[in-house]
Amino acid sequence: MGVPMADLPTVTGERPGRLSRLLRPLAFMSLPTAVLVLLFLAPMGILVYFSFQFGDLTGSTGFTLTNFTDILSDPLYREIALTTFQIATIAMIAQLIVGIPLAYVLAYKAGRFELPLLLALVLADELNPMVRIYAWRMLLGREGLINEALMSIGLIDVPIDALLFNKFSVIVVLSTSYLTYTVIPIYASMKAVDAGLFEAARDMGAGWFTTFRRVLLPLIAPGIFIALLLVYVPLFTDFAAPTLVGGTTGYMLGNVVSDLVLENGNLNAGAAMSFLMLLAAGLFSLVAYQLSRIKQGAK
Amino acid sequence: MPLSRRIQRALPNALSIGLTGLVMVILFGPVLLLALFSFNDSTVISLPWEGFTTRWYSEALNDDGAMTAIGNSVMVASIVTVASLILGTLASWGLTRIPFRGRPLVAGVHGSVLVVPWLIIGVAGLIFFSQIEMALSLQTIILMHIVVTFPLVVAVVSAGLIRFDPSLEEAAIDMGASQLQMMRYIVLPQIAPSLAAAAIFAFAWSFNNFEISFFTGGFEQTFPVWVYGVLRHSSNLPVVNAASTVIALAQVLLVFGLWYGMKLMTRRRGGSDHDAAEMITGAVR
Repeated sequence: MGVPMADLPTVTGERPGRLSRLLRPLAFMSLPTAVLVLLFLAPMGILVYFSFQFGDLTGSTGFTLTNFTDILSDPLYREIALTTFQIATIAMIAQLIVGIPLAYVLAYKAGRFELPLLLALVLADELNPMVRIYAWRMLLGREGLINEALMSIGLIDVPIDALLFNKFSVIVVLSTSYLTYTVIPIYASMKAVDAGLFEAARDMGAGWFTTFRRVLLPLIAPGIFIALLLVYVPLFTDFAAPTLVGGTTGYMLGNVVSDLVLENGNLNAGAAMSFLMLLAAGLFSLVAYQLSRIKQGAK
Repeated sequence: MPLSRRIQRALPNALSIGLTGLVMVILFGPVLLLALFSFNDSTVISLPWEGFTTRWYSEALNDDGAMTAIGNSVMVASIVTVASLILGTLASWGLTRIPFRGRPLVAGVHGSVLVVPWLIIGVAGLIFFSQIEMALSLQTIILMHIVVTFPLVVAVVSAGLIRFDPSLEEAAIDMGASQLQMMRYIVLPQIAPSLAAAAIFAFAWSFNNFEISFFTGGFEQTFPVWVYGVLRHSSNLPVVNAASTVIALAQVLLVFGLWYGMKLMTRRRGGSDHDAAEMITGAVR
């Protein structure tokens, strides 16, 4: 979202005077830019600065790398990072498996239901995420609706505990929370594809899978990368879902940051962890963004 | 037509309907059940159905925590929406219509806000406000919400501005319109649907924001933070059901109301449903 703003077309009308050439951009841009500098760049700068400083509790002051070495050498953090990677990746793949066909249905099959369905997706995103997490907890719990329903029809005798407070429930909640942002960019890239190409492919004897892999997939690759950019990064940093439905096995990096900052009051370690996540997110975003710019897509 | 061929023809449609239906059930089913059980006369939210009651709604009305949190969220989201629309429209105009040195850099900073996770912005805000010794409150929440929300408005409104031909603006000026008249009669009607869409997104972003409110709110709670707190301690659950149902219903009505308004605006100018779909997808391109 907003990523391609750097290359917007420029309007060149008649040449304005020297003064107005200086004043007009200032009139429009000074306030928004000041807000960004004061409330975005400055806090991010302080976050990075803090991550390289000794904490108040250590008794030392000044520059240090211990915040980073402590995190990187701790096997527990490595394990949590692995869990986070697993959960985020499985949730992302699940969303693509559902999202790509759904985008296809929206773009080519839905007809007069196209706009209402699109709106339903937007609405799904507008619904409060906390309410959604709560609703899933009510369904999946030990005394939740699914267990109670299965027991009342006699399918099971003891409630299934495996539904809530583990990786599975985190994946379910996260996949359903971000589906809108997975489907819409892919749908948007599909709308730009000429449907006549499919007919041409069929006429030349391609089956549906070949058509999908060799014709559609390369053309919608940019949309898929945008979806990755919008969804995969937030999946890595989520901490409300793992706290509320993750139990002990669904503990993620976001929980580490939250606990370091709010429970332990260790701002410096929290800042270091945030900075590492920011670096990873930045690197990933850069790659996904570059890939999304390759118009014809890789094979 | 032989049966196998007929199945082959019908299969893709059946699959389409099946998939779409399944996704809709997964997305909305849980929330609908939650709404249903807010009328169940039982302190545990589960089967069996104990009978219809509206008592959780009256308890929610008398629950200080719930009412304060909802009031806070409405106020924060309203202020954030107005501020973001102003800042976002200014920046969109500057970034799409006025050439100036360093524009790619400024545009890049606007865009980068949107890809930094809210958790990290929340932590950065917490440390920042502690350093400048500003107490955490609704004010700090509002400030941080504005800075993450107005770049979204920039994305949506810029997409609207790029779609329409700037020669109209030049023509208006050539025919003697003042800058202000040109903005009022040429630009505003063109970007009104984008502004409406941006307003929906901005309000929802602020209202639903949990991470930033959680870290920069101190002891003041917005609605998501309140729900989070209650769920962590697992108390008072049917009241959460009732409050959540009211919020969800209000959000549904808001989205449909604004969408209907957008549709009217595009129709009046001879646009179609397609334009409205463009509006939704425009921002992500």
